[in-house]
Amino acid sequence: MSTVLHVGMADLVAARHPATLISLGLGSCIGIAIYDEVAKVAGMAHIMLPESRGENTPKPGKFADTAVCALVNELLQMGASKGRLKAKMAGGAQMFALGGKGSSILSVGDRNVEATKRALSSLDIPLVAFDVGGNKGRSVEFRTDRWVLVVRVIGSTVKEL
Amino acid sequence: MKLEWEHLNSLQLDALKEVVNIGAGNAATALSKLLRRSVSMEVPEAELIPVYEVAERYGAPETPVCAVLIRCEGEFSGNVIFLMEEGEAFRLSEILISQDLGSLDEATKEDIRDSVNAEVGNIIIGAFLSAISLLVGSPLPATVPAVAHDMLGSIMDVVAALYGMSGDVALMSKTTLNVIGEDSEVKGTVVLVPDPDSLETLLKKLGVF
Repeated sequence: MSTVLHVGMADLVAARHPATLISLGLGSCIGIAIYDEVAKVAGMAHIMLPESRGENTPKPGKFADTAVCALVNELLQMGASKGRLKAKMAGGAQMFALGGKGSSILSVGDRNVEATKRALSSLDIPLVAFDVGGNKGRSVEFRTDRWVLVVRVIGSTVKEL
Repeated sequence: MKLEWEHLNSLQLDALKEVVNIGAGNAATALSKLLRRSVSMEVPEAELIPVYEVAERYGAPETPVCAVLIRCEGEFSGNVIFLMEEGEAFRLSEILISQDLGSLDEATKEDIRDSVNAEVGNIIIGAFLSAISLLVGSPLPATVPAVAHDMLGSIMDVVAALYGMSGDVALMSKTTLNVIGEDSEVKGTVVLVPDPDSLETLLKKLGVF
């Protein structure tokens, strides 16, 4: 039977196939899935902010740089091979568009997307699919039966990445 | 001494409740005049919670809501959000639009309701901020309102990110306004999100720092 695991804000969870990993109501946050189809393991992180700047956080899932590293380590410990890891992600919206200085404070979504891409490329993990930016919130679900990231947006059709 | 807002004491939290109380009281009066109905206000809350719980604090993260956000930047800076569940927002716009929209197409109706919701948010938040401005004793230049129809969790991400940048604790301060009609009530919640470095200003004006 497939396990369903909820990944809360700043959490990261790794699981063996068959599993479904879920993050609900992502706004500026990122839901990223990293997986190895051969070793049949996958993990998801619900990233809040771009960079830890060396801050010692009890929650590595909070920042893009620490989340990607911690998630990869966990997957490697579960038998994944670094050369086979792939990533899919969604999120990083800007929920409110304000002019002027206010917009930079509220545009953390874009910075989250960039920081997550940087963290992946520094570890040579290919980002094979993504659905990011815009101004709509997303709920994501990663399923290990087909290794797809299902993305739901209010008032719009479901996307499979 | 620098304010460590993650360790606000109960006196300071009470003072923040009072800020919400004064702001929302002004907003309730404005809303009541606009709608010509009585508007009641719930007891304000101000609490410190882990930043990771922000998205689920006011309901299930996928609850569809209408949110209006205004940011002010003056001697005091921060964001005020007016939140309504989609169904409530719909009913509130129906109360305001006396005109029958029956003959219009769906997209036009939605545009009209949207602009009504933005305007209601603008009036409520504007009244809220003008009360805070009196308290601070200086004008608070504010942005035009931004409206979003989305999942509650996605909206609250804005609050989580803002506090997450400076730590693991979020200050959640809010109250709920009830518009009382002949046969129904419409609810909306006003959430005050001061910039963390701006809290000191507010607390000093209130004499609790």
